[in-house]
Amino acid sequence: MRPSNATLTASGPSDNPPVQERPRRTQHTPPRPLRVRAARSLSSIFMVGPALAAVVAFILIPVVVAGRLSFTDWDGFSDSYKSLGLDNYVQLFHDPGVKNAAYVTLVIAVVGTVACNVLGLGLAVMLNGEGRVKAILRGLFFYPHVLGAVIIGFLWSAILSSEGAINTLLSAAHRSKIPFLSDPHWALASVVFVVIWSTFGVNVVLYLAGLQTIPESLLEAARIDGASRWQTFRQVVLPMLAPTVTINVVLVLVQLLRVYDLVLAMTDGGPAGHTQTYAYLVLSESFLNGKIGYASAQSIVLMIVITVLAIVVVALRQRSEKAVEQ
Amino acid sequence: MGSGSRRHLVKLGALAISAALLTGCSTGTDSAGGGKNIRMLVNITPVLTKQFYKDLVAGYVADHPGVKVTIEAPTGRGIEDTLKQQLAAGSPPDILAGGQNTALAGQMAPLPDAQWVKDSPFAEASKLDGKVWMAGTGVQLQSLVFYNKDAFTKAGVTSTPKTFDEFTAALRKLKSAGYTPMQTGGEWTTGAQALMMANPNVMNTEPQWYAKRNKGSVTFAGSNYAKFLDVYQSWIKDGLVPKDANGIKYQDMINNFTAGKSATMVMGNWLAASLADAKPGFDAGVFPVPTFDGSTPPQAANPAMPYSVLKSSKHTAEAIDLVKYLVSDKKAVTKGLSAEGNFRTGYSYKATPLTNDIAKLLDAAGGKTVAIGPGLGDNSSPAGFPDELNTQVQSMYLGTSADKVAGAMDKWWSANAPK
Repeated sequence: MRPSNATLTASGPSDNPPVQERPRRTQHTPPRPLRVRAARSLSSIFMVGPALAAVVAFILIPVVVAGRLSFTDWDGFSDSYKSLGLDNYVQLFHDPGVKNAAYVTLVIAVVGTVACNVLGLGLAVMLNGEGRVKAILRGLFFYPHVLGAVIIGFLWSAILSSEGAINTLLSAAHRSKIPFLSDPHWALASVVFVVIWSTFGVNVVLYLAGLQTIPESLLEAARIDGASRWQTFRQVVLPMLAPTVTINVVLVLVQLLRVYDLVLAMTDGGPAGHTQTYAYLVLSESFLNGKIGYASAQSIVLMIVITVLAIVVVALRQRSEKAVEQ
Repeated sequence: MGSGSRRHLVKLGALAISAALLTGCSTGTDSAGGGKNIRMLVNITPVLTKQFYKDLVAGYVADHPGVKVTIEAPTGRGIEDTLKQQLAAGSPPDILAGGQNTALAGQMAPLPDAQWVKDSPFAEASKLDGKVWMAGTGVQLQSLVFYNKDAFTKAGVTSTPKTFDEFTAALRKLKSAGYTPMQTGGEWTTGAQALMMANPNVMNTEPQWYAKRNKGSVTFAGSNYAKFLDVYQSWIKDGLVPKDANGIKYQDMINNFTAGKSATMVMGNWLAASLADAKPGFDAGVFPVPTFDGSTPPQAANPAMPYSVLKSSKHTAEAIDLVKYLVSDKKAVTKGLSAEGNFRTGYSYKATPLTNDIAKLLDAAGGKTVAIGPGLGDNSSPAGFPDELNTQVQSMYLGTSADKVAGAMDKWWSANAPK
């Protein structure tokens, strides 16, 4: 039990400054007037209200509606629709297109998440600190994120297509063309590369922000103790960045599980559907093929997968953060 | 929950989903002065620009004070999915300019039983339940082989091929002469070119093939589609088409052809306008796609610049009046036809020699046309057919056999045919 201030004072001087105890509310402390509490509640509602309304309008209602529609054959326009029970969900698990899209999405999400975080963290460590060159490089790495995904897709398809910039240069140098967008493996690799290129800038910024929260005294202490750069990074920097890593991993994972527009602009799902992501499939089934019910079932499954994955990642990260703290 | 309130809930949800996509769209509100605003969602192409449509309706607007026409470009992948998004958001336009998907026909107001509707190309063919819901401005031909006359001369091909055997022999000679024999590509073009070549050979004897496939009385595997896919597979195997076609963009296809690298390119008549713009350093010619028996094929064709009026329009009368202007006013029709090099009996314009040659091909076919892409009216494919075929034909470049593609198409169609 912590001794009281009075005890410390009586026993002599102490290195610790006297702790200012927060005055406890006693019977003599009058309760806040009702109107003050009401005003506080009202201001809270005003502050939370818009965000809450946005969540309800743009997340909750669409999810509920999609959930309802996922059991129907609604085409998007008809005034009526038939209830199909679980048919859409059963069909989904037997659909080879869904399997292919799930595989493509998984590759993009896993490779992209790892690469974006490794690259983001590595570059953030290199670019942390003052200096004009570092500032310029930070801007350069973040720049792709400023461009829209569609612009990025068109840009890279112009660079990577069979008649694109790289292959034109290769042809001019009498070298064989590289089938960036015409071979399924190359096309998927190209999409993954562009996804990483367009995403990791945000991770750099977030890791830079995380690095700046690490107290200089800790780094100084490590240096005094003779720790090498790698040891300092591993034993001090990385543990201190644990919450930032968690945020970055979850953000990138969720973002990459929903990749659509970049694929649309870059490969349009080709060649022969080999770069169709899950989100691309959902959009194709809904707006192009008029299968709103089936697409709703697909999107509900995607939502569940993303939620579960996000929870698992956060749980795993928290466990590792605790392990580091201990 | 009643169907009305369910629909209301669905609309609300769809509105929420689509809101972000549609923030740039006009709300379609009429002007404060009481004027009527007709919103037109138009199909934008390199030739049919937003400005082109603004100029097109200028004459109508000048003659109709109080009516404003707002031209809207697609915000989605194209006109069709933009319309679907707008319908879902409860904010559809008054007029749809382009797109022939019969799945959307239910959203359109029937056009009047008037002579100007009957005179518009493909009006009869697009009838659903006896009602015309779309009026075309002209006819767009899509079964044409554009060719480099200099390359043919250099390769020793003295006459344009009439049969697939002759065509394949010509392609071999062109390859030996150092050309890419036939320019194919990726994106949407792989499947589209296949349809352009196959449909005249399938529908010359079975004009209602799509309708029959919906009923299950014909199949891909048992039709000339399968026969054509065999030929196509042999072209891939023999290097008569680019092996990296899947990675070639549409514009690159045109560039390769106009640069004289490739000797032939199957495409619709709109390519003539691109060729005229590009001014290639060779003499370009055109012939109809070959047939298996050497007969003159019908042209696979579409209504060019078709218009429909949305039944949700608050200004149906004015919208129909505008469509009437667009498909029957001599000046407006001619402007539309000449922009893309399309055709219509009774209308003429100053065309390039190549476009005149195309017109002769239509005359030689006796004006006979067959369906292309999703088809028209009762002779329509299920939604998604061109996309699915595109994917399947692309897979042939990756080693899938013609038999498997035909089988996969039959399986797909059976699963998606209207019940």
